[in-house]
Amino acid sequence: MTPVQAHILDLLAAATLIPLASALLLLFAGKRWLGRLSGWVATLAMAGSCGCALAALSAWQDNLPATIVFEIPWIPVPGQAAGYLNLGMLVDHLTVAMTAMVTLIATLVHLYSIGYMQGDKRFERFFAYLSLFTFAMLGIVVSASLTQLFVFWELVGLTSYLLIGFWFERPGPRLACKKAFVMNRIGDAGFLAGLAILYCKLGGNLLLPAAGDAQTPSGVPIETIYQTLTAILADENASILSPPAWLTFAGIALFCGAIGKSAQFPLHTWLPDAMEGPTPVSSIVHSATMVAAGVYLTARLLPILTPGVHLFIATIGLVTLVIGACMALVMTDIKRVLAYSTLSQLGYMVLGLGAGAYNFALLHLVAHAFFKCCLFQCAGSVIHAAGGKQDLRSFGGLWRKMPATMACFAVCTLAIAGASVMGVGLSGHYSKDGLIACMHNYGLALDEAFNPGGTTFPFAHIFYWAPVAVAYVTAFYMARAFTLTFLGSPREPHLIEHAHEAPLTMLVPQGALALLAVVATPWGMAFWGDRINASAMIVPWVQGGTEEQVGETAVEFTHHAVGFAWLVGIAGGVALYAAGTKNAARLAKLPGVRLLHTWFLNKFYFDGLYDGFVVGLAKAVAGLAWILDRAVIDAAVDALAKRVREGAASISPFDPDPSGSPINSVAFAAQAADQALRPTHSGRIRLYVLLAFGSAALILMAVLILVFAARAAGHAA
Amino acid sequence: MPPLILTHLAPHALAPFALAQLIEPGSFTDSTTPSLLDAVLPSVLNWMLFLPALAGAICFLPGVSRASARALALLTTLGSFALSLVIAFDYYFNQNASGVAAVTLKPWIESIHANYHVGVDGLNLPLVLLTTSLSVLVVLAAWRIEKATQAFMGLFLFLLTGMLGVFVALDLFLFYLFFEVSLLPMYFLIGIWGGPRKEYAAIKFFLYTLAGSICLLFVMLGLYCLTPAGTANHVNTWQLVDSGEQDSLISESVRALFAGPSTGLHGPTPAGPYWLHAQAFFLLTLVAFLIKLPAVPFHTWLPDAHVEAPTPISMILAGVLLKMGGYGLMRVTYPLFPDAARHFWLPVATLGVVAILYGGFCALAQTDWKKLVAYSSVSHMGYVTLGLAVLTRTGFDGAYFQMIAHGITSALMFFLVGVVYDRAHHRDINRLGGLWLKFPGLGGWSLLAFCAGMGLPGLCGFVGELLVIFGTFEANGQLPGTIPGSAGSGGFMGAATILGLFASLGVVITAGYTLWMFQRVFMGPERPEAAGYAPITAREYGIMAALGMAAVLFGLVPLLVFRLTDPTFYALASVLGLN
Repeated sequence: MTPVQAHILDLLAAATLIPLASALLLLFAGKRWLGRLSGWVATLAMAGSCGCALAALSAWQDNLPATIVFEIPWIPVPGQAAGYLNLGMLVDHLTVAMTAMVTLIATLVHLYSIGYMQGDKRFERFFAYLSLFTFAMLGIVVSASLTQLFVFWELVGLTSYLLIGFWFERPGPRLACKKAFVMNRIGDAGFLAGLAILYCKLGGNLLLPAAGDAQTPSGVPIETIYQTLTAILADENASILSPPAWLTFAGIALFCGAIGKSAQFPLHTWLPDAMEGPTPVSSIVHSATMVAAGVYLTARLLPILTPGVHLFIATIGLVTLVIGACMALVMTDIKRVLAYSTLSQLGYMVLGLGAGAYNFALLHLVAHAFFKCCLFQCAGSVIHAAGGKQDLRSFGGLWRKMPATMACFAVCTLAIAGASVMGVGLSGHYSKDGLIACMHNYGLALDEAFNPGGTTFPFAHIFYWAPVAVAYVTAFYMARAFTLTFLGSPREPHLIEHAHEAPLTMLVPQGALALLAVVATPWGMAFWGDRINASAMIVPWVQGGTEEQVGETAVEFTHHAVGFAWLVGIAGGVALYAAGTKNAARLAKLPGVRLLHTWFLNKFYFDGLYDGFVVGLAKAVAGLAWILDRAVIDAAVDALAKRVREGAASISPFDPDPSGSPINSVAFAAQAADQALRPTHSGRIRLYVLLAFGSAALILMAVLILVFAARAAGHAA
Repeated sequence: MPPLILTHLAPHALAPFALAQLIEPGSFTDSTTPSLLDAVLPSVLNWMLFLPALAGAICFLPGVSRASARALALLTTLGSFALSLVIAFDYYFNQNASGVAAVTLKPWIESIHANYHVGVDGLNLPLVLLTTSLSVLVVLAAWRIEKATQAFMGLFLFLLTGMLGVFVALDLFLFYLFFEVSLLPMYFLIGIWGGPRKEYAAIKFFLYTLAGSICLLFVMLGLYCLTPAGTANHVNTWQLVDSGEQDSLISESVRALFAGPSTGLHGPTPAGPYWLHAQAFFLLTLVAFLIKLPAVPFHTWLPDAHVEAPTPISMILAGVLLKMGGYGLMRVTYPLFPDAARHFWLPVATLGVVAILYGGFCALAQTDWKKLVAYSSVSHMGYVTLGLAVLTRTGFDGAYFQMIAHGITSALMFFLVGVVYDRAHHRDINRLGGLWLKFPGLGGWSLLAFCAGMGLPGLCGFVGELLVIFGTFEANGQLPGTIPGSAGSGGFMGAATILGLFASLGVVITAGYTLWMFQRVFMGPERPEAAGYAPITAREYGIMAALGMAAVLFGLVPLLVFRLTDPTFYALASVLGLN
């Protein structure tokens, strides 16, 4: 092994373990010893972790092979060739890129939280949870195997539960954190099933596919799922492109996990509710962690997913993309707008992955992480300034009071809209436009697949036109949120009167993130973009990231289709909302629009469906099971016991005359004896038990004596 | 330059991960030369077994004060724990070839060939350790029992001997005796120290288990009658381990009598002479142990017993007594009738899955916190049934680990319920709330306990569930009987796969009732009546911490258990023809 690889492994191990150490420190010693310093301790620890991750990123060379350390035995599986489910670490291009992104954002969120959580009575615990959450996400990114990934996957679920429910005194967070965890567990049930299928079919080898050929630190080649799977399929005269049913099934099952974590349709409803947590939590959940985990998993597994699974993924992504954008259009809570926007953007990434646009989907993950984190932090600052108010309709004119926050928000709005002029743009432009261009190819490929050489299959092109349309909608709803918050005149002047710019601990991370949102893809390309590009595995269904690979037609076409979407959308949004919501309200009353508006506003009735129907159904089944238990099973047992008792009484030959029956004579005799023994009724249980055991012993002895006597008699005879 | 942190520092710094790896079993002494310890180990085992009973008898002597009964019980359980540790360490480092250690074999009732035969192997040693360690905590949990303390401690110590006896007995007759012996103290412990409906609960528990015992007794009589008198088989009827070279559980020739028809490599073999009996016996012993486990539909004694039992007794009931059921299946039912087990795998596995889901749904419907935990036990023990039924090595490992893990987590959960009950004097989930604010420490340990119960990875509850689910999927296509119409998917959608899918769904229901309960009991604003709650004592925190840390330790280093069980399970796998 080269020194560079050793160095990088060390750095990444340190980057992962430092947040854990700081979380444990804060959890056990935070309140007693550190107090208010906890925030700074956690932030500095995160910064240290970030330093390690950035050092690893800059030390990484694209010609290095993926390295897997996989030596800590965990669970033995003697039934399979692998023998053990080990724990270890995987380092490749994607790992270094993701670690850097996660730690960078986590550091800024920690810093921001110092200001935001100031004065909270569980200040230390918040930072402990936040660091643990980051550790869990880093654990996912460096995990070597699917089982190990699942460990951190669930830890992410648990820590998000703690963070979303941080203010558990209130009903909102309480319900939201439970909802988030249960929704995630639904996905995890699928994950577990997929894991089990792969485990059985691959002889227990669950090493995650790495970029290119992987080796151990000592340079020995090591087989990942991808290699094992291709070998097994080759034996069965199949391949990933013409797969057996189980592989498609396993792929879909595993992707269910990602549906839960990345809040894809139909398990998306937890994400908007998760904003009940403190705003720094939203800013990290919606960007670098948790929702990113599902995308990361899908990207990692992309080489072993079959075309059927790809189509499934793309369809799920497409639905999420569209419904998220629609709902973001009409929400009036500033955090909800951003939350639904996250849904929609995640839809882009998942759609892209399904279409094989590996590079652009991951690039968009990184770009989105920066601008969405920034947007949430800006929203947090606004909410802070407005005394906890979150309603867009009450804001307006905030630019006067919070120019810096407004600037950050504006930059990120442009970034998410994908603003560009003459081919030079903000981060969202590169990732999103590239992704849409890949969708053009996917639409064509799908068309070809469904109608080989024949007429066009119009449905296939929805995979291209829907993301194009959503690009316009995105710019529009972001402009709406921006305009209603910062522009115009104050709609509730008393609210704005006391508004002030956020403290430095909040402004600095906000500004840093805004800067990153500008440069994350164009300039940051040299950092993570190239890593991601290099990690794209050479499998036929992954589209390349360069312009030549995507194809000139697609790029040209997309340039025309969405090149000015940002301008159109933003102009429309500003124009409609510059004078408040009254124009939009009038628009919403138009016949066709009204129906849609109602649908969007009611979130397509998913919450009603789930809370009313699914939860109701579960409760009904639980109630039925309980009734069955009491009224059938247990009642049968009791009835049996009663019948036995009655039967015993009825077969008694001494029954008819109770007064004179021998049974009763015994009872009377017992009563007399009882009278005689009354003094022993001292109420002392010890004595009772002693008597019980004593008499048992006496009886036993009597029996033994009888037996021996009988034996002796037998011998004598 | 090798990577410093990962390859050098990590294995040592992360000692829990490396603990089981650093010291290879059998690396300390040459296992061929018997050490002095080997000579005294049988005595150690016998002392460990009967010391509690002896101390229990002392507790009943007149003149023993409450304080001395407590002290005596604590010392005895500690002593028993220490002795079991001696055996465990010796077993871990110095395994002999047969896999059975510390054996005492003395003729007992010669007329029926019953022996006093006790010893440890991989199958019972972890359970023995669980019992002895948990009993220390149970005595501590019972520290504040003021009602006839001496009798309580005495009965508990009798119970301890009974439970340990069940695990270490290697003679079926002796096993049966201890199985019954453990019943009586439990009856009194529930019936005297229990809640309002204690008599009903106690007699229900007693009769239920007795019904199971009768099934077992019937099979024992059958076994004894079927083996012709005067033959070696007749003499060996009660032997639970073969005296041969390998630890092969149940005499090979006895087992052969009950073999089913098979299609081996050398053509089809006809069934053994008593194949039909084997099927009936399998079902009878199955019922005997499923009642104890308990599996749906034989489970209704459990919620009643738990709700009425005092906290320490709930801990031992869930922690150890239920394990007798699973242990009985692994020690008696499956090794004796492996072919019948194969024959009936589908109904048994279905029972397991039904228990997982049904127990979960019943838990979801509870408003009594303790009943919820009791039903969660039914759900968790369903994994044991499923893991055994699918007849894979992975499933067996998982089922066994699930028993150990459930022993830790359920004891902790019942203890937590008890801690709250002592203060609130009720267990109605809807009338509790805000406990996290009142007692942050309690909230933290509870979160850990319920997460372990939910099977979150990294905690002990996960390993068993994962292995059982893996084992179930593995079984697909390897067992007779598939779901009709599943041929279209290339044999992939077999019965085992479908059962596995349903078992995976269990994690959702578990999360549902656990989180719902946690939200009601621990979250929310502090309730006014909580102002008067007494603070949680160091003794209580100590018990929580001990069990909580065990939950983490065994989640991270499950090898601590598997290193002990491995040789025996290897033998068991070959006996059962596990896949």
